Amino acid sequence: MNAVWYYFERDFIKWTRWKVNIFAALVTPAAWLIFVGLTLPVTFTDNYLEYLTPGIMVMSVLFASFQSGNLVIFDKVLGFLNKFFALPPQRESYLLGKILFISFRGLMQASVIFCVAVLFGITVYSLSSILLTFFILFIFGALFASIATTIALAVDDHDGYAAINAMITMPLFFASTALMPYEDMPQWLRTIASINPVSLAIDNARVLLGGGDPLVGQIIMLTAAAVVILVICIYVFRRATL
Amino acid sequence: MIKINNLSKYFDRLCAVDAVDLHVNNEIFGLLGPNGAGKSTIVRILVTLLRPTKGTASICGFDIAKKPKKVRNVISYVPQEMALDTRLTGKENVLLYAKLYGIPDRINKVNEVLELMDLTDRCDDLIKTYSGGMRRRLELAQALVHEPKVLFLDEPTLGLDVSARRRIWNHILSLRKHDITIFMTTHYMEEADEYCDRVAIIDKGRITALGTPQELKNSLEISEPTLNDVFMDKITTREDECAFDSFKFRTMLRRRS
Repeated sequence: MNAVWYYFERDFIKWTRWKVNIFAALVTPAAWLIFVGLTLPVTFTDNYLEYLTPGIMVMSVLFASFQSGNLVIFDKVLGFLNKFFALPPQRESYLLGKILFISFRGLMQASVIFCVAVLFGITVYSLSSILLTFFILFIFGALFASIATTIALAVDDHDGYAAINAMITMPLFFASTALMPYEDMPQWLRTIASINPVSLAIDNARVLLGGGDPLVGQIIMLTAAAVVILVICIYVFRRATL
Repeated sequence: MIKINNLSKYFDRLCAVDAVDLHVNNEIFGLLGPNGAGKSTIVRILVTLLRPTKGTASICGFDIAKKPKKVRNVISYVPQEMALDTRLTGKENVLLYAKLYGIPDRINKVNEVLELMDLTDRCDDLIKTYSGGMRRRLELAQALVHEPKVLFLDEPTLGLDVSARRRIWNHILSLRKHDITIFMTTHYMEEADEYCDRVAIIDKGRITALGTPQELKNSLEISEPTLNDVFMDKITTREDECAFDSFKFRTMLRRRS
């Protein structure tokens, strides 16, 4: 299992050596908060920023997870996977290392958003609810990082992957409670949104950061989905041929 | 060291490798053939990246399909793409492999293989600053860090200039002192002629000639035959029918800088 850490370390060092990378990853979500959270004229709440912050945190993790499939495509196109998959460590250690790095990077972005939101004056309730929110974000990130890396393993080029990425993430994001509550949605959208994993994560983050109790049923559903998907992805990686 | 029995590989209906039998001893063995003849497919099957459709192969007695992990422990594979992390230093690149192989005394071992490949004085520089030949030597260092019994090299000198090629070859030859079997593919017949103990020529997935370079040249009834003549004689695939290997082409262009 040490190999998981070594693969993580490789991605981490590469990421931190490219300063623009870090800067860009942290600025983009902040822009959402400022230009959408502070400006959009909504009627269902008088503090839209507080409503939007959990949604943007989950969105960043979602987008960061899916975009990171590109890391796998690079490794594949440039020949790294050929070398790694012919090494003794189990192949899923590569997958797990990637998931760890991708989720970690997503959580970094989410923390920045949270800090910015606090600066803009959202209420902070308890440390434990914040920690639990980040735990849920990690599960959520791992779920989508597994899906993204496994799709990337089957796709050969960046353009194709970008198309698939947009095709999956955009509908998931808009068909969720990120931008508006269930009550303000049309009926058909409400049904879709209520089974969307993005909503499951956002609803929890919103309740927790708003000082409420966690929605245990939804956390269990999300965790179960992550475990099932991860097992499938491990199987795919073990059987993969290059 | 390597035993291949009746090995076939089909991609859908396309037959890439057609009932190949081959035994490789402790030697430098060269696999030659046009693009798309099945060279890289054979290598990828042997290093456990692809599964054969029919037939078996074993390395150091371990079956590649049944004991892939044992196989991965005794081999090293350097693909043609030249995959190095350009934002990491030479030493970090080798250290990653030492860690993944689980080498006990890894710092010393990494320094030792860097020294072996004449890279010690540049090992703390980023790969971005390395020449094509240095990158290839660093990949050899990565491959040697766990003392493999068999080393697979896919086009080790592709796209390098003469002096870099010669240097790589001197390093490869010196590995024979460490008792490492080398299985390689190449496009350069002159190199195969000069450095390989035995070569096989493969055409449309079948072995059409096998022997020492001298034996193959002697089999032609012309004066002063070269391995290029043998190649032309044994290959029936016209150039027009060959596959275009865009990977290889890109690798070549990349390596020139």
